[in-house]
Amino acid sequence: MSTAPPVARAYDGLRPKILQRLMEIRSTLDPTLGRLDEVTAGAQINAVLDHLGNYLATGDLGLHRAFLHTFLAMRAAEAQGPAAVLAMLVAIGDTAAQVAQEDGAGSPAGTELTLMLTRVTASTARAVNDLIAEELERRLAQWRELSTKEQKGLPPS
Amino acid sequence: MIVDPSLGLYVVLDGMGGANAGDIASQTARDAIAEFVAARRTAMDPRALLETAIQHACATVWNSAQTNRDRHGMGTTVVACLVVDPASRGEPGSLHAGAKRAIIAHVGDSRCYLLRAGRLQSLTRDHTIVEELVDRGLLSAEEAERHPYKNVLSRNLGAKPETRVDVVDLELKSGDRLLLCSDGLYGYASAEAIQYLLGSGDAPEHVARDLIDLALRGGGGDNVSTIVIETPQVAPTSTQVVRTHGAVAWWQKRQRFLQVAKERGITRNPICRGLSQDEALDLVALSLCQAIFHDLEKSTGVNVWTFAQNLAGPWFERGGEWSAVRNLIDILGMSARTVVDEIRGLDSKLGFLLDIAVSRALVVAELALGGLLAERLRQVDADLIHVHAAIGETIETADLPDDSARFLDSPTVPFLRPDRPVTSSGVSQEVLSAIGKTLTIARARTSPRAELVKQILETLETIATDSSGNFAAAVTAARELYGIRTVDDSGIMPIFDALDAARIITASSVHQISAPDALRAKVLAAISSAHQRLVAAMTGLVLEAVAPYSERLREAQGVTAQLRDQVARAERKRAELEKKFATTIDQSQPWEKRGTTEW
Repeated sequence: MSTAPPVARAYDGLRPKILQRLMEIRSTLDPTLGRLDEVTAGAQINAVLDHLGNYLATGDLGLHRAFLHTFLAMRAAEAQGPAAVLAMLVAIGDTAAQVAQEDGAGSPAGTELTLMLTRVTASTARAVNDLIAEELERRLAQWRELSTKEQKGLPPS
Repeated sequence: MIVDPSLGLYVVLDGMGGANAGDIASQTARDAIAEFVAARRTAMDPRALLETAIQHACATVWNSAQTNRDRHGMGTTVVACLVVDPASRGEPGSLHAGAKRAIIAHVGDSRCYLLRAGRLQSLTRDHTIVEELVDRGLLSAEEAERHPYKNVLSRNLGAKPETRVDVVDLELKSGDRLLLCSDGLYGYASAEAIQYLLGSGDAPEHVARDLIDLALRGGGGDNVSTIVIETPQVAPTSTQVVRTHGAVAWWQKRQRFLQVAKERGITRNPICRGLSQDEALDLVALSLCQAIFHDLEKSTGVNVWTFAQNLAGPWFERGGEWSAVRNLIDILGMSARTVVDEIRGLDSKLGFLLDIAVSRALVVAELALGGLLAERLRQVDADLIHVHAAIGETIETADLPDDSARFLDSPTVPFLRPDRPVTSSGVSQEVLSAIGKTLTIARARTSPRAELVKQILETLETIATDSSGNFAAAVTAARELYGIRTVDDSGIMPIFDALDAARIITASSVHQISAPDALRAKVLAAISSAHQRLVAAMTGLVLEAVAPYSERLREAQGVTAQLRDQVARAERKRAELEKKFATTIDQSQPWEKRGTTEW
């Protein structure tokens, strides 16, 4: 018997529907996803959904943050800006919550799952912004160091 | 009267004629209408059914009058309502929830009123000689009121074998109330009093009784007939609940919100430094509280978005740190959650909906902050490149070839050949029209200041509806957009941000057009395809623009490789010299006597 919280089990049960909806709108989530074939795009979206499920089941923000960090880095390598990544992650979370609300209209489990998914989306957005801010801080430090060297006429390290 | 929910039929009749002929006329008409509708309800169009039933009743009454001398000249007025849904199984005096349409037919001066959204309106016009004179412009309304023949009917059932029936087809809305009545009611009760009672919210049967009492108290006789029909309130959607009750419940808790924000230390936040406690609460906490209220009320996120931008934008401009913004947003977010939890304790269903809505408002705030952070990151990146280049540039600046207007003339990026066929040709007129509607909605939803997004939406329409079937429209449009950016200092990134914004807006706008899902999917596919073509064309232009620099980079890499070889050769030379030197010194001598070399 699964030891996952009921809300995580409810989410797992709803995963196929959420994935289907996201696949339908994938080109609006991200043009790159829209250009990929179904199997590859499905695998990428599933990766995000996996981590949403893990976060629902464990509540481990550190793990979730680590995933988001990797995700941001991968998307940056594909030339996708952090604001667009944030918008995409929020759109995935919103879609999942919307499907949960439609599917479980009125039932306590549906209600709870909708609420949890909305909160997870809020938490994801918060974590992504913190990661962007950290990166910004790192680059600002780099810029300050370089500016100092420029003023002193030193070569960059 | 007829009150037959199983048929969806409601009729008020008011007979006229000597002795009891009026009663006989109304009863005869009533039976004829009921039998006719019952017998043919599945065989005829509802509008024709009701009209023909009344014509049939007219002929029946006339025939009856012809066969009996005492009944000669008898007649009746009629106002009938047929609820269009054969599945009607509601209680007498009420409409079932599925009812969407009502057919109202009348002859004479019995009336039908509609109460919608608290406003009373008459759906019928009396068939009196005076009314017809008013219609022809021969009498004014005031003169008609005082006219001695104001109650003389120009039409009724039974005076002739057939009559003209006026029919109204009405789309019903949730909460509508219909009132069918004879002149015994409206002749003795004012329209205001009728509106008040009809809108009281009491059960229809109670309202009907109150209306009769009102008419009797006003001096009416005993021929007052009324039927009140109600369309049940459809359960409001969760959005409606949030917009009304949710917004109010949230606003009522604003003092509590401010109190919690204060307890959590909002006034000590660096952003609030320099403000008094009251100012901090008013300018920051109350502003968010108001923004959330307005967004709840209008089901939008624009107020919270603006709040977050106004809060963080100037702070970042002054060199403020992210941690202060994070702390402030966290305090406000936790305060909001405390308030929502308290509302949830009082009303779990409303609290749940509010919880979701407020959580989404906080997501909107994060999205706005994310946009600001990403923009700052982009600026710092650009500055970093600039500073790095200023310090370390070692490559001579070479004259670059003039690449203006080169792309369209001789494109070098293979996948952007203007004659490359694409799949959008052959799109049906229906899809083209739906694309136009979607993008019109998208433009209307775009902020007036987002000129670039609007321009991209127009461009998308051009590309998506381009019937030439090639890539030229996308390339030309991209060239235009790219041209705009190359003449200012903001660079190319705002275009990609605007492309993203346009994509998000169009995706949500597709759901707002009234069209079947299959058509929506086609529209979405067409716009997405246009968007991808535009992005691809734009990317091609950027690649094209940076190509000369790439060549320079490759040259630089070649120079670096040569230098690396030279360094390696120098390293080897040095190693050889070290070895040679090591063999020429006398190791048996003390260190200080070996020489003065310091390595």
